[in-house]
Amino acid sequence: MFRRNNIASRIFQRQIYTPAPGTSVYCARRFYENLVPSCTIYDVECPDQSFRKFTDDGQYLISFSRNQQDLVVYRPTWLSFSCKEEDCDAHDLPPKAKRFESFFTHLYSVSLASCNGNELICKDFFLYVESNQYGIIATSTPSIHDAAANGAAIQGVPYVEKLTFHLIRLEDGVILDVKVFHNDFVNLTHNMGVFLYDDLLAIASLRNQTIHILQIRDSGNLVDVRAIGAFCREDDELFLNSNAQCIAFPDKSKLHQLPGNNVQNGTHLSQPNQEDSLLSGIKQRLLSFIFQGISNEEKDPALVQFLDRQHLLIKFGSVDGGVSRNADQHTAFLAVYNMETTEIVAFYQNSAEELYLLFERFCDHFHTASKNSVSMNFVSSHSNNIHALEQIRSVKSKASSQFMKKMLGSLPYSCQSLSPSPYFDQSLFRFDEKLISASDRPRQSTDHPIKFILRRQPCSLKFKIKLGPEAGNADGRTKKIASFLFHPFLPLALSIQQTLFLQQPSVVNIHFRG
Amino acid sequence: MRVVWHLMGSMLGDWPSCDPHNFSKLRRADPSIPSRMMPATYHRTHSRTLPPPDQVITTEAKNILLRHIYRSAEEENDLRPKRAATKHLIPEHGCKQPRATSY
Repeated sequence: MFRRNNIASRIFQRQIYTPAPGTSVYCARRFYENLVPSCTIYDVECPDQSFRKFTDDGQYLISFSRNQQDLVVYRPTWLSFSCKEEDCDAHDLPPKAKRFESFFTHLYSVSLASCNGNELICKDFFLYVESNQYGIIATSTPSIHDAAANGAAIQGVPYVEKLTFHLIRLEDGVILDVKVFHNDFVNLTHNMGVFLYDDLLAIASLRNQTIHILQIRDSGNLVDVRAIGAFCREDDELFLNSNAQCIAFPDKSKLHQLPGNNVQNGTHLSQPNQEDSLLSGIKQRLLSFIFQGISNEEKDPALVQFLDRQHLLIKFGSVDGGVSRNADQHTAFLAVYNMETTEIVAFYQNSAEELYLLFERFCDHFHTASKNSVSMNFVSSHSNNIHALEQIRSVKSKASSQFMKKMLGSLPYSCQSLSPSPYFDQSLFRFDEKLISASDRPRQSTDHPIKFILRRQPCSLKFKIKLGPEAGNADGRTKKIASFLFHPFLPLALSIQQTLFLQQPSVVNIHFRG
Repeated sequence: MRVVWHLMGSMLGDWPSCDPHNFSKLRRADPSIPSRMMPATYHRTHSRTLPPPDQVITTEAKNILLRHIYRSAEEENDLRPKRAATKHLIPEHGCKQPRATSY
């Protein structure tokens, strides 16, 4: 639509031309080629906190106190100062403007983890319900490893005594509701074990092999919808309890005294065993689906995501594979499960070419975004962007099977793990994805500036993200990691550099359009 | 298809134009007589392209990814040969029996 690169010309053209149908957002985004965060305030003095992310609507900056007990919320604002000189462009920002408070207004702090107990906020976990401006934050007691299995729990999975999900209204910090899990384990690193889709929340309990589905009501209540694991339908437990010929129950402590084949009053009871005498509902569904001999190995539901309001994509893996995403050593299976019919619709191994082809063509449908979130529907992926597609195809051509397994290792997706910032739009800018990307995972820090190059002609360098003013580290052995928080629509970003293994405060830089 | 002209109050006949002979089909020579030309309407001469009378057009509930997954699953089910059912589906006792296991 725009024939020239000059911003004034583009504004005039916008008055005259209409974008092609369905491209208005992409056309408006092209203005970000002209508005870039080219200025940096290095090592800005700011509170010593863990900055987590900007909410997807750009209204809040979420942060946790260093002691992981308080939630601290800021409102992103903008500089407001004036220059009365004749040639203002030549002047640098005055020192009083180069402050954290120039860009962020502190709204409130809320204590979530009790200081008497040993609970801490899981600082890698945060989900945002954009429609109501609710935030979901988790607190937990320390995890206990090498715990013996009891009840329905499986051995080898750590557990926490108390895991609490807090639903908070971010407008004022009021805690609306909590959901508590006892003696359980959910992998919360980078939102892995929890998935939010519209108002539905799926929580994958690794220890108890259950997927909890909750609904977030507009009133601010967390309502249990169903628990998929031991039982698939809501009335399965009632049916099994009322049927005297069925074997079910996990309370094996009461069965200790009974020998194996004892039949008493028509009720079949068995001694406790290391494995369940009756497969849990979801595992039974899976094994009946694949019983033709693909695999008889028992797998546990490890990770989950929504594909729509009825369908879940569940990863079944070994215990170790469920705690990490390392795909190389572990065989895992991915199943599409219909919650309404309780059927496994499809089943794939984590290296299946068929699944990879679906992933390559319909990646955006794995990145299920809420219909309320406009910005999340325009994140670049290899399904909607030719440059991203060319990139993965070139890597795939070099090492096909390993590459497919690695790409499928990212399924199910971690919810809200990608930044919707236009600066990560691969149609606008080219950048080194090893150094920076839309993903919010921290990566190894680099001394070299990270360049953002215009994708269109003249393919010029538009801006750089540099983590420090010096050319390099005096001590090259110090390992640092960097994380980047980009505002969803303002030309504003934070880069946070942390030194591993040393108790040094992190270095925070602010990148903005000067 | 056939074209039918109708007479109606003119929508264009009284508008000014550079050539008075323009819109002659819509505007009568005597402006005192109101023109009642209607735009042409088109009537079908066959019913081959008619939609079914009970057709309702709605949006597919499943997204394209799920449609592909379901379609692949159906194709696989069609290809997979069905096993013959065993003769004795219901045991002689008429109820479930415990398995002989050694726990």
